[in-house]
Amino acid sequence: MASSLHDAPSAAVNGTFAADAKSQVHKKPRLYADPSPPLFTPSDILSEFSHHDPAIARINNGSFGSCPSSVISAQNDFRLQWLRQPDDFYFNQLQPKILQSRTIIKDLINADHVDEVSIVDNATTAAAIVLQQIAWGFAEGKFNHGDAAVMLHYAYGAVKKSVEAYVTRAGGQALQRGKQNGRRVRLAVIDHVTSMPTVVIPVKELVTICREEGVDQVFVDAAHGIGCVDIDMKQIGADFYTSNLHKWYFCPPSVAFLYCKRSVNNSDLHHPVVSHEYGNGLAIESAWIGTRDYSAQLVVPKVLEFINRFEGGINGIKKRNHERVVEMGQMLVEAWGTHLGCPPEMCSSMVMVGLPACLGISSDRDALNLRTCLREKFGVEVPIYYRSPKDGEEGGVTGLGMQSINLLTMHSLVLLFPIHKLK
Amino acid sequence: MQHEYPRNGESTHPSSKKPKLSSKFITESDIRDEFSHHQQRVARINNGSYGSCPNSVLTAQRHWQLQFLRQPDAFYFNVLRDGITASREIIKDLINADHVDEVSLVDNATTAAAIVLQRIGRSFAEGKFQKNDTVLMLHCAFQAVKKSIQAYVTRAGGSVIEVRLPFPVNSEEEIISEFKKSIEEGKSNGRKIRLAIIDHITSMPSVVIPVKELVRICRAEGIEQVFVDAAHAIGSVKVDVKEVGADFYVSNLHKWFFCPPSIAFLYCKKSTSSSDLHHPVVSHEYGNGLPIESAWIGTRDYSSQLVVPAVLEFVNRFEGGIDGIMKKNHDEVVKMGKMLAESWGTNLGSPPEMSAAMIMVGLPSRLCLDSEEDAVMLRSHLRDRYEVEVPIFHQVSVDREEGVRDKDGFITGYLRMGKLAKCFIRNEKAVIKVGAGFHGITSVFCRLLMRAAFTVFKESYKRGAKSSAEELELLTNVI
Repeated sequence: MASSLHDAPSAAVNGTFAADAKSQVHKKPRLYADPSPPLFTPSDILSEFSHHDPAIARINNGSFGSCPSSVISAQNDFRLQWLRQPDDFYFNQLQPKILQSRTIIKDLINADHVDEVSIVDNATTAAAIVLQQIAWGFAEGKFNHGDAAVMLHYAYGAVKKSVEAYVTRAGGQALQRGKQNGRRVRLAVIDHVTSMPTVVIPVKELVTICREEGVDQVFVDAAHGIGCVDIDMKQIGADFYTSNLHKWYFCPPSVAFLYCKRSVNNSDLHHPVVSHEYGNGLAIESAWIGTRDYSAQLVVPKVLEFINRFEGGINGIKKRNHERVVEMGQMLVEAWGTHLGCPPEMCSSMVMVGLPACLGISSDRDALNLRTCLREKFGVEVPIYYRSPKDGEEGGVTGLGMQSINLLTMHSLVLLFPIHKLK
Repeated sequence: MQHEYPRNGESTHPSSKKPKLSSKFITESDIRDEFSHHQQRVARINNGSYGSCPNSVLTAQRHWQLQFLRQPDAFYFNVLRDGITASREIIKDLINADHVDEVSLVDNATTAAAIVLQRIGRSFAEGKFQKNDTVLMLHCAFQAVKKSIQAYVTRAGGSVIEVRLPFPVNSEEEIISEFKKSIEEGKSNGRKIRLAIIDHITSMPSVVIPVKELVRICRAEGIEQVFVDAAHAIGSVKVDVKEVGADFYVSNLHKWFFCPPSIAFLYCKKSTSSSDLHHPVVSHEYGNGLPIESAWIGTRDYSSQLVVPAVLEFVNRFEGGIDGIMKKNHDEVVKMGKMLAESWGTNLGSPPEMSAAMIMVGLPSRLCLDSEEDAVMLRSHLRDRYEVEVPIFHQVSVDREEGVRDKDGFITGYLRMGKLAKCFIRNEKAVIKVGAGFHGITSVFCRLLMRAAFTVFKESYKRGAKSSAEELELLTNVI
């Protein structure tokens, strides 16, 4: 086992962290009056993630995230409180606690007002909310048939389907190339960090271009955003912005926020699951969509506590993740003679690493088979991406996503070195 | 701990076959352990809202949750879909559906209503229905369903007819007659009734509706589709979707079927119209059929949908299984309801044969419950001061001459009694509150009545004045 690969959360914790002007754009909310809880030690971290399968190298944090034991414990406490006396919890506890989570998120993302922040299950739900109001725009004649919604070619599969379900079906066009024939673009859907392949998109610039081109509304799908890249609602300037907290922000499945700028006609945004709260504003509607387990939405304060036990808090974690993953990615491309999917400055906590052509991956099915093989034979969990050849190129590209606290990913990379021998 | 959960549900309707895992039935001390997490001092007489989940099922749920957290990708690819299918198979057999494709799992009846009504809304928007075609619902339909109709039907140009149910109700004929009248109204002026939404067991006030007969009437009158909102049904009354004959039927398993929050099934009879049903949260599974769409609506905790096998195991430890449990609940709630009505000189909201595991008991008129606000206040007071959790219903009297009276005046309030039978909760400390919760309620109300100054209490609550609260304390202590 190459010791240089064995990380040191101690290195992470004690490592130099040069604070630069960009790292603290807005204040970090601290909920606790008690003076700095101790920073994590390596063995603290091991025990926080002791529930992870120790035989697996998890290099796919991007899909389902990682939730520490202390947060799971807090979540179980909330579940138990509900079960003890659910009526009392419903009448007296649930709403204030959801509001508390929303308030923390509002500060984290630099939104103006907590009314702009709704909590939903995931970005998939947020997409349905935003797209449903577009569908009504068509159905109620506010938009003309043929007006368009624009999205990236690499938009997430669920979002593409949501556009089909709500926009195309209602008479709009889903375009990947922009305005055509003088029709209006009613909505642009832009990813902040695409999923597969993964790249950080310059959203601020794209939003500016959208405004200049007269696009009605901009929706940023930042499922991977929070905990992975810097997010500042006022800086980015989109009308809608969603991010999952259970990917890179240590929350349990599942909790996401949907930010809706106040200037938007928010009275027309509704959660598709309609409860008695219908009409009381999206944030209130989303906080009660029938009897269910809302505990994941209540642990945000606890998660903040966890994060602040790392040096530099979430910014420290982001920086270390990025540096580590770029370092590892570069090591792999050197070993395999391939290339990264994009330059390091366009990577976040995830990087795409080209796979050697000798693997002969020539379809999505091959990519999935390789992924299954890596999981079952080598105990490595990593998403594999295949893109069909352009201009004589070949080969699949691997996405690697990891976090500095996960020691095992270091060991897994050693296993990956002989990957060209798989064929 | 690893359980061997049945992968193929039992193949016959539960009323004809009683599977037993062991010859020994669950004991009282087992039951106490199973519900030890309930707050001991509170008399839970509102099982209907949020249900009760036993520890063995919670343990099974945690097992699934941990399995996901250990290796979520492997769980997603190899475990989740099969686990959900296993639950669906069991439910299909429990409800006597023909095919597992007819059974989708969703969070709750609220979600199911959104699914069905979104489709109706699309039909209006796409011109398949004429503006002002109607949707029929009961006047006391659940508030979320009413709002869903507003959001998806009225907004799209449809109109709504409400069937006014008589309450208190004395016979099924009263309901059937009102229903027929409303159908006539719905069809007036050349309109078509596109959908009828019928509760199987209404929520507030709670009454068991003769759904089979009403569905038959709908078919005879040419109503296109019928959606039965049976949120309270499973574990409470017999559910046989073929017998009921509706197009859509939803019930929550976390109310009377011991599941954790939250899980419901939406049954959709196989027909051309069921192919255009979609979950409103659209994932990459869009277009693969509602059961598949509902089984993946993005990353979330699906564990409550996976414990149905464990719940069946739990239920079968009781003599008679779920049928035995249903009978005990019904017998006990009727017995207790009658006892209260007698001791207060009031009435039951419906005859015993029109109640299942819940019954409405008239409150003494001397409580002067004059508004919804009064009802809420009384409920809070009972919770905070007496640790009794019970929903209170305010009866808006349409015609005072026809209202029900006790010896002092018109009965304007009812409590909804719905609890698991005494055999479920036998805890020495809690016996005063819970096991004999009904006696608790009796004494509470006697004290409230004896004060005869309930109006004082109402006023002081409204003013929130400290001195009034002290006054109240004094009064209560004196009595």
